[in-house]
Amino acid sequence: MSFEELEHTADARFRIRAASLGELYSEAARALMDVMYGRPGEDGQEREIEVDAHDPESLVFAFLSEVLFISEVEGFVVSRADVTVSDTKAKGILHGEPFSPERHGGGRGVKGISFSDLSLRREDDSYILDVIFDV
Amino acid sequence: MLPGIQSLGPCEWEVPLGYVPGMRVPGVFYLSPRLAGTLEEGAVRQLANVATMPGIVKRSLAMPDIHWGYGFPIGGVAAFAFESGVISPGGVGFDINCGVRLLSTPLEEKDITNRRELAERLYREIPTGVGGKSSLRLSGKDLDSVLVEGASWAVRQGFGRAEDTEFCEEGGCMEGADPAAVSEKARARGIPQSGTLGSGNHFLEVQVVREIYDEAAASAFGLVPGQVCIMIHCGSRGLGHQVCTDHLRVLEAATKRYGISLPDRQLACAPLDSPEGRAYFGAMAASANYAWANRQVIMHRTRKVMEELYRVPQKEMRLVYDVAHNVAKIEEHLVDGKRLRLCVHRKGATRAFGPGSPGIPASYSRVGQPVIIPGSMGTPSFVLHGTQTAMEKTFGSTCHGAGRVMSRTQAKRRITGREIRESLGKAGIVVRAPNDASLADEAPDVYKPSAEVVRVVHEVGLSRLVARLEPLAVIKG
Repeated sequence: MSFEELEHTADARFRIRAASLGELYSEAARALMDVMYGRPGEDGQEREIEVDAHDPESLVFAFLSEVLFISEVEGFVVSRADVTVSDTKAKGILHGEPFSPERHGGGRGVKGISFSDLSLRREDDSYILDVIFDV
Repeated sequence: MLPGIQSLGPCEWEVPLGYVPGMRVPGVFYLSPRLAGTLEEGAVRQLANVATMPGIVKRSLAMPDIHWGYGFPIGGVAAFAFESGVISPGGVGFDINCGVRLLSTPLEEKDITNRRELAERLYREIPTGVGGKSSLRLSGKDLDSVLVEGASWAVRQGFGRAEDTEFCEEGGCMEGADPAAVSEKARARGIPQSGTLGSGNHFLEVQVVREIYDEAAASAFGLVPGQVCIMIHCGSRGLGHQVCTDHLRVLEAATKRYGISLPDRQLACAPLDSPEGRAYFGAMAASANYAWANRQVIMHRTRKVMEELYRVPQKEMRLVYDVAHNVAKIEEHLVDGKRLRLCVHRKGATRAFGPGSPGIPASYSRVGQPVIIPGSMGTPSFVLHGTQTAMEKTFGSTCHGAGRVMSRTQAKRRITGREIRESLGKAGIVVRAPNDASLADEAPDVYKPSAEVVRVVHEVGLSRLVARLEPLAVIKG
């Protein structure tokens, strides 16, 4: 389970690997926090999350867009996600902590999740997600 | 130069019909030999892809700060016939009405003896960076007024002076804004962020006019050598970003429904005169108005700090101009002898209307509108003026800035935020940011040199140099 930032001139591009879709979603949320705040958050508080979509790529797009929305509007820095992912629905809990300027001021705003070059695939025993955050 | 591209003259290149299948018009971009090495093949392909879109008029264009973007290249300009053309969020960008305004003061460089204190005061008064929260407490009804009235709303609330709006493109208020087309999510992102600077390449800089290139134009704009000015660069924050996200999804579906075939789904668009096209235009105009109100509030707070620290009456700090560099506008242009109503998309491109054009302040009519080009952090910014050449070649458009050339990952490997702060400090530039980490991926050399980008548009005549400004203090998000 890991996330890695890849080269991209204008934006922040990530490759995320995990053994299950649930873990993949959690790591993707952590990667987003890494851009927005310079680091993911710590456990402590919880928020519910639920999104629907018609295909697996649209679902991960909808999930990350919702994490961005909750984080930005509620000042909530996600530490991990505990979600159940089916073909068309992701539902569960975001763990994290309130934004603190001292600890979370090292990032840059993410404007949106990009649908371009979004790819979700399975290789051997892992799920791999490539995603660009528009910064 | 890349294969398949033809020279039209110094710094002017054509991407001919057939470069990609289905092009309705040729592509043209402007680039010097020195910048040719920065040109990405993907960006040229995007320029050519835009030329396939329904209703595109004359040519698909890109400025010297061209680089690879979402669907349309950044630095791209495309005009679509009002009756038969389309509108596309990819031709505007995520940060709707990202723009720049320049405030002049009667102060000289020697008056700013306490740069660090000035930077600290501005940083405290203007919410900045990720998580920076507005002290405005907007209700939903207030937000509706912001979305419809733009800068005038801010002036009405006491943020600034009535004459400020005259010195904004569109008078700081775009017609056709439709608050109902702005989603609840966009509103929720926008309410706590109004009057905030944001992060990334957005900044507020205290600058000094270091060199004047055109005295008559500088005098019309009220700029003199040695004068202290303040530049504000920001946009429509989370509200505009969410509007782009929301409407991209709608327009992707609409593109298919209207039988529009595109080489890249990122060009998602709809006829201007369709429910989806009208909804995006209304939401985009509302976001543009939010951004104008935003810059107006930030400018007012800046004036108050300058008044308190240097005893300068607010009325002596004049808004030189406010330009939008991510927007689509309905404009009239003369094309092959005919006056046409067009929807001009400028994505990372600045309007550069020439002398006598409608829609520019009477006091600037003789020289053309001011064009404000922000430098990257620590590098010079420029003021130019619009030209008749731009009216003829580029639908009255020019470049918007520097254009990124290096990824965040590369930038962070090469230099730390602390090293950047120290090197700017040696040059006498004070930087105030949430912390050093946020400086690293905005290092000056991750961008094309702004002086070279500006030199190209000056030589081609898309706008002409008026003044160079250099930073004294930088507030970064």
